[in-house]
Amino acid sequence: MPLILLPLLRFLIAVLSISIARARRPLAVVSHAVDAAMLAWLAASLARGTPVGWTLGSGSAGIGISMTGDRIGMTFAALAWGLSLAVNVYIWRDRLRPYFFLLVHLLVGACYAVSFTQDLFNAYLLFELLTLVSFLLVGYERRPRQIWASLRYLILSSFGMSVFLFGVGIVYAHCGTLDVGVLRPLIAASAGEPWVLLAAALLTTGIGVKAGVFLFSLWLPAAHARAMPAVSALLSGVVIKMGVLELFRLADVFPLRLPLIVLGSITGILGIAYAVTVHDIKKMLAFHTLSQIGYVLIGFGADTPVARLGALTYAVAHGLFKALLFLSAGDASAHVGSADDRTLTEHKARIPRATRIALAVGVLGIVGLPPLAGFDAKAILEDGLSSLGPRIIVWLLSIGTVLSFAKFVPFLFARSTVRAERPRACAYAWLGGLIVAFWPVSVLMTSVPLCLAALGGMHLIESLGSLLAGAGLYMLVRRRTLRLPQAIFRLEESPLIILLGFFLVFVLLFISGSAG
Amino acid sequence: MPIIVSFVLLGIGILALVLRRDLVIKLLALGLINGSSILFLVGIGNRPSARAPIHVPGEVATFVDPLPQALVLSAIVVNFAILALALVFVMILVERYHTTDAVRIEVETSRESEEEETPCL
Repeated sequence: MPLILLPLLRFLIAVLSISIARARRPLAVVSHAVDAAMLAWLAASLARGTPVGWTLGSGSAGIGISMTGDRIGMTFAALAWGLSLAVNVYIWRDRLRPYFFLLVHLLVGACYAVSFTQDLFNAYLLFELLTLVSFLLVGYERRPRQIWASLRYLILSSFGMSVFLFGVGIVYAHCGTLDVGVLRPLIAASAGEPWVLLAAALLTTGIGVKAGVFLFSLWLPAAHARAMPAVSALLSGVVIKMGVLELFRLADVFPLRLPLIVLGSITGILGIAYAVTVHDIKKMLAFHTLSQIGYVLIGFGADTPVARLGALTYAVAHGLFKALLFLSAGDASAHVGSADDRTLTEHKARIPRATRIALAVGVLGIVGLPPLAGFDAKAILEDGLSSLGPRIIVWLLSIGTVLSFAKFVPFLFARSTVRAERPRACAYAWLGGLIVAFWPVSVLMTSVPLCLAALGGMHLIESLGSLLAGAGLYMLVRRRTLRLPQAIFRLEESPLIILLGFFLVFVLLFISGSAG
Repeated sequence: MPIIVSFVLLGIGILALVLRRDLVIKLLALGLINGSSILFLVGIGNRPSARAPIHVPGEVATFVDPLPQALVLSAIVVNFAILALALVFVMILVERYHTTDAVRIEVETSRESEEEETPCL
């Protein structure tokens, strides 16, 4: 029962917070406390081994709308809870119109629902809800560039979800059900048939648009960079993760191994290439959302249980440090008046100290300094990679991440007397604390032996090696300027690239089907 | 038959979305794409000489599959909401730039600098 109550109560709070605008702070406190209690109940019943599930409409599996509270869903719901708490604290004193809080609560409620849903059509509806809400949130300040970025987002994601619906239709026509758990044996029985390949390619394309996969999510850099910091943190931290979670569920049902590895490599490498070439730090963080999704997809594609667990852990870790980075980078650029890293370095004394500490913790987390969040999750992921190819790509990606985040170092060290606002500092402390003390969290998500293995000497050497290599590479290339094509992000080209991605996935599925 | 039509509509929609520069026409194309997916879902529930799924006691007849029809109802509502909201944002952009040309809006928005950018409306 809490499974359905979690999202529904959030929706109720959302409605209340717009109708009783003065009570928005008590309402936020109550909703987070109640959600925490329900998540704790869910965790306790999972630990006892009691299955938690709920089906609307029918008792038999495969007909009603079913929700399952598995460990993975709970982890993502907890991530949504943690980031919602951070963002609500961050905007505690901000003067915003009441509908902003309505939208934030709706967004979090929808994320809870996606975490538990097992039904493909239900997932479609919830993704459309996420699209609408994040569309309004990105354009909240009504700056022209925000409006334009969010309009492009809406058009591309609606296009993507239509493609997804075609996939849903094909699956329903052949299997008569849309429940992921029921579909698994049915799809496995008819592996290699043309309709399975077509449905898998359509569903992957549709979710790819929402999940931050490079060929599909070309709306992402503009939308995430232009939105308010609190909104970018939620979008990059948890909304993208919902797409990733759905991809994980799809990878469980369909033979998506090869496409995920190829898409992951493309996403990671191109994301980093673009991140290195921009100076706007918010835009750079947005490109890094793409690059870090690359790790996660490679982990899903590797198809060993350890790699998949590692990838999920990485998705959660990324949610934490990317939210912290977006919140603190937004605050820093608000104090300086520009998001350009050169201007930030010039006026670094204007950035409050707490903000700089938060930026530093976020950067150390994302580059994978032991024992922070990025290191731990990446080590578990690497332990699960059996073949050499993905390992090399993961290693290149870590060097690239260090290379691009080296831009942040010049403005992290300064003497400043400006004090951060207290709510902001509290939000940083919450997220930063989670990032620094991520090891216990990862133990909860995976298991003790895996996390102990992640602390092994090889991983430490590898992490320090990539830090040094990235820093050295930065010294070599920092005077160079490189311009990569920007046309692919335009509204005209993006649908074509989504189609290209669809054909790529289809061909890869075909190759892996005929090889296996 | 509805399935073939739905794929044709999808193709037309994608072509219009890519080739036409006018934002309103792009949104119409998006509506066509969304409509094609709905037609596809209805199409797969169709059976030869089947009737609407309304059960009359004592009568035996072939019905079309009612589930896709139930599903598309929500999809239609969602697509309506998306088109309506998108049109509002197009309206805001038109008030500022006096054009619905996507390429020109792209150029104009990239020209606005971050500091001097004033909110629309």
